[in-house]
Amino acid sequence: MALKESEAIVLRTYPMREADLLVTLFTRLDGKVRGVARSAKKSRRRFGGALEPLTLVRAVYEDRERQELTRLDSCEVMDSPLTRQMTYPRLVALGHVAELLDEVLPDREANDALFRLTVSVLGALRGPEIWMPLTYFELWLTRLTGFLPDLSACVECGLDLEGEPAFYHALADGLMCVDHKRLASSRLSVDSRRWAVQMFRAPVAALSAEPWPKSVGEDLRKFLMQIVQRHLEKKLTTQPMLAKLD
Amino acid sequence: MSRFAEPMARLIEELKKLPGIGGKSAQRLAFHILRSSDDDAEALASAVRDLKAQLRLCSICNNITDVDPCSYCTNPTRNHRLVCVVEEPTNIAAIEKTKHFNGVYHVLHGTISPLHGVGPEHLRISNLTRRVDAGEVDEVILATNPTIEGEATASYLADALKKLRVKVTRIATGVPAGSDIEYTDEVTMHKAIEGRREL
Ligand SMILES: [Zn+2]
Ligand SMILES: [Zn+2]
Repeated sequence: MALKESEAIVLRTYPMREADLLVTLFTRLDGKVRGVARSAKKSRRRFGGALEPLTLVRAVYEDRERQELTRLDSCEVMDSPLTRQMTYPRLVALGHVAELLDEVLPDREANDALFRLTVSVLGALRGPEIWMPLTYFELWLTRLTGFLPDLSACVECGLDLEGEPAFYHALADGLMCVDHKRLASSRLSVDSRRWAVQMFRAPVAALSAEPWPKSVGEDLRKFLMQIVQRHLEKKLTTQPMLAKLD
Repeated sequence: MSRFAEPMARLIEELKKLPGIGGKSAQRLAFHILRSSDDDAEALASAVRDLKAQLRLCSICNNITDVDPCSYCTNPTRNHRLVCVVEEPTNIAAIEKTKHFNGVYHVLHGTISPLHGVGPEHLRISNLTRRVDAGEVDEVILATNPTIEGEATASYLADALKKLRVKVTRIATGVPAGSDIEYTDEVTMHKAIEGRREL
């Protein structure tokens, strides 16, 4: 069987049979691919630390487009989250990135923009600061998957919301002006909308300089995850864990 | 409709829940049990029943035991002021094999795992912090696995335990003994250099 090689990000692994691991990869070439890594559970020699979630690897796998599962031949580490200190907040942040990708990506559909976004955000998540890279990732992921509504105008009347109060609601398809907000809507601050504009213009590395406490952009993240969870029709496991962090 | 009689179908269903046992293996095992003597079948059934009835967690260290406290926690020749924290009871055997560790243990029964919704509040650590807080411990060795979840769990425990003013150490990770560094993966090599010691 012919082999394929692609850069890939490990999303999750599950134990399979006695000694194997079932690995979900986000490959640059083929999008989300699931493969079996033989003997990976018993002998770490073959794959080493390469199958830890959120490791950037060079993966070699069998070219089996029509089958659900491929066989993972080898994985070479290009960048591992384990080379920096792994704290609990960092683990939750990385887990959140992995869960979002695993949920929104269809099987076998390349998405180069989303792949490059993930690589750059994983780079920003090397340090102890998690909230800016996470906000950046959620914003761009929502946009690249086509879920993000226009942030500049009221979805009901088209009013320009620049400098105006804006509101969101779990059942509304976009932002609303003060006249059209629904009962029990939440406010999306002017500051957060300005951050969003900035994030669409700059790479994540350019925004890393300023300190970002959890409170910055918190309403934006809540808004974005409400949109994503509505499209997925399910709750994310990592969402309440992030909410509990300081 | 099952093609087996109800008791047979039920046993196959139960066996299939075991790790590494698929439908074919479950059938094979079920028919083996059917053909075995009444005594053998009864011995198997009672071994399964006794396992659940007689084994429990040690109230001091969470190890699986038939007597509480467990044999490590009651052994007077062991150093009870040195506690090694492991993820699973099976990890104890791996450390005991070295015959060089004379302390006692604490078993977490898992790690923090965001993708499974397991946070620090789910870890079994209250009896460990109680032991440390009571001044019964000089050093805690964190021997969780060098995976992202094991490392994050160790980091979380280190922060929590240091507040109680106890020495906290982490096991070293690095190149396996008797191997060749030429074949060591980059993550392990990185850890090995990071954890180097002066000679
Ligand atoms: Zn309006
Ligand atoms: Zn014990």
